[in-house]
Amino acid sequence: MSAAKKTHNTEDFLQMYRQMARIRTFEDNANQLYLSAKMPGLTHMYSGEEAVAVGICEALRMTDKITSTHRGHGHCVAKGADFKEMFCELLGKEEGYCRGKGGSMHIADQSNGNLGANAIVGGSMGIATGSAFTAKMLGKDDVTVCFFGDGATAQGLMYEVMNMAALWSLPVIYACENNGYSEYTRTEEIAAGSILGRAQAFGIEAHQVDGQDVLAVNALTEKLVDRCRKGEGPFFMELMTYRYHGHHVGDINREYYRSKQEERDWKENRDPIIRFRSWLVAEGIATEAELDSLNADIRADASAAVEYALQAKYPDVSEVDMHVYAA
Amino acid sequence: MRKITLSQAVNEALAEEMRRDPTVFIIGEDVAEAGTPFKVLSGLVEEFGTQRVVDTPIAEPGFMGIAVGAAMTGTRPVVDLMFGDFLFLVMDQLCNQAAKTHYMSGGKLNVPLVLRTNMGATRRSAAQHSQSLHALVAHVPGLKIAMPSSAYEAKGLMKTAIRDNNPVVIFEDKLMYNDKAGVPEEEYLIPFGQANVLQEGVDITLIGTSSMVQVCQAAAEVLAKEGISAEVIDPRTIVPLDEETLLKSAKKTSRVIIVDEGHQSYGVTGEIASRINEKAFYHLDAPVLRLGAMDVPVPFSPALEDITVPTPERVADQARRLVRGELIHAA
Amino acid sequence: MPLDVIMPALGMAQQTGQIIAWHKKPGDAVAEGDVLFEVETDKAAMEVEALGNGFLTDVIAEAGADVPVGEVIARISDTPESRSSAQTGNAPRPIADASKAPTPEEEDNAVPEGHTVIMPTLGMAQDTGLLVSWQKNAGDAVAADDVLFEVETDKSTVEVNAGIDGFVAALLAEAGEDVPVGQSIAIISQSKPEKTLTRSAGASGSAPPEASEAPAEAEVPSKAPATQLSLQPSKQKSSLAQAPTNGRILASPKVRRLALEQGLDLASLVKVGHPQPFHVKDLEVLRALPRREAAAIQKVTRHLKAGVPRQGWNAFADWAVATAGVHEEQALLAGFAAASFGKVPGVVRLETPEQTWVYAVSSLRLGQIEKVDPESVVDLCVHDLRSTCIETAQLGADGAPVLSLTKTDENLILTLEFEDVQMSASKAISAFSDFAGRLKQPLRHLL
Repeated sequence: MSAAKKTHNTEDFLQMYRQMARIRTFEDNANQLYLSAKMPGLTHMYSGEEAVAVGICEALRMTDKITSTHRGHGHCVAKGADFKEMFCELLGKEEGYCRGKGGSMHIADQSNGNLGANAIVGGSMGIATGSAFTAKMLGKDDVTVCFFGDGATAQGLMYEVMNMAALWSLPVIYACENNGYSEYTRTEEIAAGSILGRAQAFGIEAHQVDGQDVLAVNALTEKLVDRCRKGEGPFFMELMTYRYHGHHVGDINREYYRSKQEERDWKENRDPIIRFRSWLVAEGIATEAELDSLNADIRADASAAVEYALQAKYPDVSEVDMHVYAA
Repeated sequence: MRKITLSQAVNEALAEEMRRDPTVFIIGEDVAEAGTPFKVLSGLVEEFGTQRVVDTPIAEPGFMGIAVGAAMTGTRPVVDLMFGDFLFLVMDQLCNQAAKTHYMSGGKLNVPLVLRTNMGATRRSAAQHSQSLHALVAHVPGLKIAMPSSAYEAKGLMKTAIRDNNPVVIFEDKLMYNDKAGVPEEEYLIPFGQANVLQEGVDITLIGTSSMVQVCQAAAEVLAKEGISAEVIDPRTIVPLDEETLLKSAKKTSRVIIVDEGHQSYGVTGEIASRINEKAFYHLDAPVLRLGAMDVPVPFSPALEDITVPTPERVADQARRLVRGELIHAA
Repeated sequence: MPLDVIMPALGMAQQTGQIIAWHKKPGDAVAEGDVLFEVETDKAAMEVEALGNGFLTDVIAEAGADVPVGEVIARISDTPESRSSAQTGNAPRPIADASKAPTPEEEDNAVPEGHTVIMPTLGMAQDTGLLVSWQKNAGDAVAADDVLFEVETDKSTVEVNAGIDGFVAALLAEAGEDVPVGQSIAIISQSKPEKTLTRSAGASGSAPPEASEAPAEAEVPSKAPATQLSLQPSKQKSSLAQAPTNGRILASPKVRRLALEQGLDLASLVKVGHPQPFHVKDLEVLRALPRREAAAIQKVTRHLKAGVPRQGWNAFADWAVATAGVHEEQALLAGFAAASFGKVPGVVRLETPEQTWVYAVSSLRLGQIEKVDPESVVDLCVHDLRSTCIETAQLGADGAPVLSLTKTDENLILTLEFEDVQMSASKAISAFSDFAGRLKQPLRHLL
């Protein structure tokens, strides 16, 4: 675990732990909802990648923007969303963040600067860059972080917008969550050359970081965000991470592309929450008992939200053609 | 009233709106010093600077995507897509992102952007620079589609489009950029979804979009000499569509021809004809006819290209046959 | 607290999963991560692991069973004892391999064996038949020629025979139910059944057995070939049906609508050889046709004539227009005519040589006479020819009775023309004399 900066106090560290635990708990509940056929559609689990979303979002202000992906629950929670509205959205209920019209793959929470998940791989890269364009044009110091996976590096849009972001020095950070797999295919099979090299070709400063180390992710992001605000953007981060579940919840039988041994290794030896928890205890920031109690609170919070969402009402059918056009 | 070209009218609309609202900006290929290949934007960069008249690399999906994100976060981009044919390049950003964001977010996010592009054949530009693809985007809920038919219309519709909180695609006919029309000096807006009845008539209704409005007017002139009174209507926006005015006219004249430069199949003509058929059937004294562009890629050779688009002669000929009560597709 | 073991939703679009094998037996200790059972999804066979520690209990879906996703199929409990064996009563209903024997409860509802009687297809385009009544009860003996039930099809009610000797073992639909054709509605067994079954068609939990035997014989002309049926004359009256042409009349939707509204028969145009397709302008030709040509059935036009002094009406009309809120004298005439001829509410067309008004008369109050769409269907026509030199008008009835008003120096001359199909002579006389009386002394007849 990398050394924490002096600027962080106990509450900052506990907040990072809490947010990672909240993401894991949210995903465990979402997975159960899917398995028990209570959730319509399907979903993509963020479990295992928590340090990426939390390390980055804890370095952002509420007014900073993010764009998210189909594997987006983690980003949404990390940027400040509430369980209740999120579960309601996953279940297609009226009180969801998008009144049940988006669902798992389109949760947007503009109140916290989350411009939305995107079901098109790489589809949000233009949006993130445009958000940074707005900040520059209107003279605001907002920074936008564009989350995307290693699979999205194969999309042409990325190169078009990185080119323009570099030309125009836009305050955007491209955060590539490299979890080793592009859907059901190993990244090596879909990406030639180096991922960092892609950004470097446009003259964009690019960093690789251990995505299972929340403090390392947070420290790097803080530096880059700060430089973005000064007009030194854009930047590129490649966060080495791992997803514990399949590409989506139904992707159970996955030994043809990765071994159970490999999964076990990441879960047992590189889990971001376990690692950070040990560090917190070792540093005397929190006791095991305090963290257990924190976890219990989060679990209770989540099951209350799930229960609420299950009981919540669906949108009225009259909403079906509402919000096609803005007033 | 002074007369200015369609190109000047668009330029004026943009300049006025950019003066009025500092969040409006133009983004696209060669929009600044070059002022686009059609010189529609000439002079704007001098007034507003390169921060608001933004030249991009040749990367349509890229700048379209940037415009969507910019629109979602508090600006009003006017995207300049050099040729309507390039719509196929920006489909994901326009149709999957811009068109759906407001709905998918349950009304929380808006995408107030304008996509300015063009249409129209007979410029000897062949199949990839001549298409009229408005029907393609009109099919996607969440987009509004405006089709100015004159300099006056172009200015009023552009100003309304910029102030609209939705993604609006404006199709300008590239053959009309130098056409002049009376445009008042004072400010005006043309509301969306209100068709313009250019000429009243009792025998037949000619509904035309964009440059086909002129075609319909020319046909109406010919018909008038033969004692046939044609009503000419310009829907102005095909989304939203002023169905009420079109139906009212159809019920009055009992005969309708719809003229549009998109391909005839699965197009705007078919959509309007179908609505009239559904809602004014018992008032029709003749089949509703469609006149669109031929269902062929636009050919290069002038000898071929000219026959692919509707002409006043063809419109008048069809109108005559309907009014005479000739047997059309009656067998 | 026991954990539910559910049939998980695994594939992309999976509704059910089939259990291939259990890897643990009821009562076995299980640890989190142990493989509990194997399931076949739409994609492949999968091992499902235990989500917690405990003992496998309450296994209610056996190997081979196809289970909807989300359904509880077992529990992981704190003790090896099953909760259902402890009579907690809330254990889920067992889910059996479909090929296994039915439970006693299911046996009670089982359909007895025998000849299956189905709802027969009787009409031409019949999807269902309404079971009007059973003529036999469950358990009754029946002969092949006995009427078993009555069914109402799209045409009529018919009796259907049993078609086979035996005993009514089951009635699988109730009187009053609409049953899809081909669905089993009764079972006739060879021997007297020990147990019979009666239920509604809607209640058939299990799909009705597909009838493999021939359907019951029905004494209806259902076996008549389709062509023969189509030649049967329809009782419905329609102008098209009376047309001498076998083909369709080519006419625009608008001219068809106007002809229908105005009681005109487009077939008359066909008869005189007017070229098709017909459009609105052809209605003029149709109206101008001699009546004997135009009328498919014999219509006789009758007329009545009357004269009343002008002066009463003139004074009244001036007063009404000036003070009573009547917009024009013609509205008043329309109102009086409608009242006399019992056409309130109704629509009256009023024509002068200069102008035509169409009024809706919604009540006898003077203010409630409104102008409406000139193309509306009218109940009465009034020709006001007082501004002309015409003294006698005999214009013929025109889809509706026609009143004409002319004048002499002293008198108003009234003419009524109507077709015998429009009203009877006695009705015409009383209505016409009422109208003449109103014009003579308007105030006495007001309201």
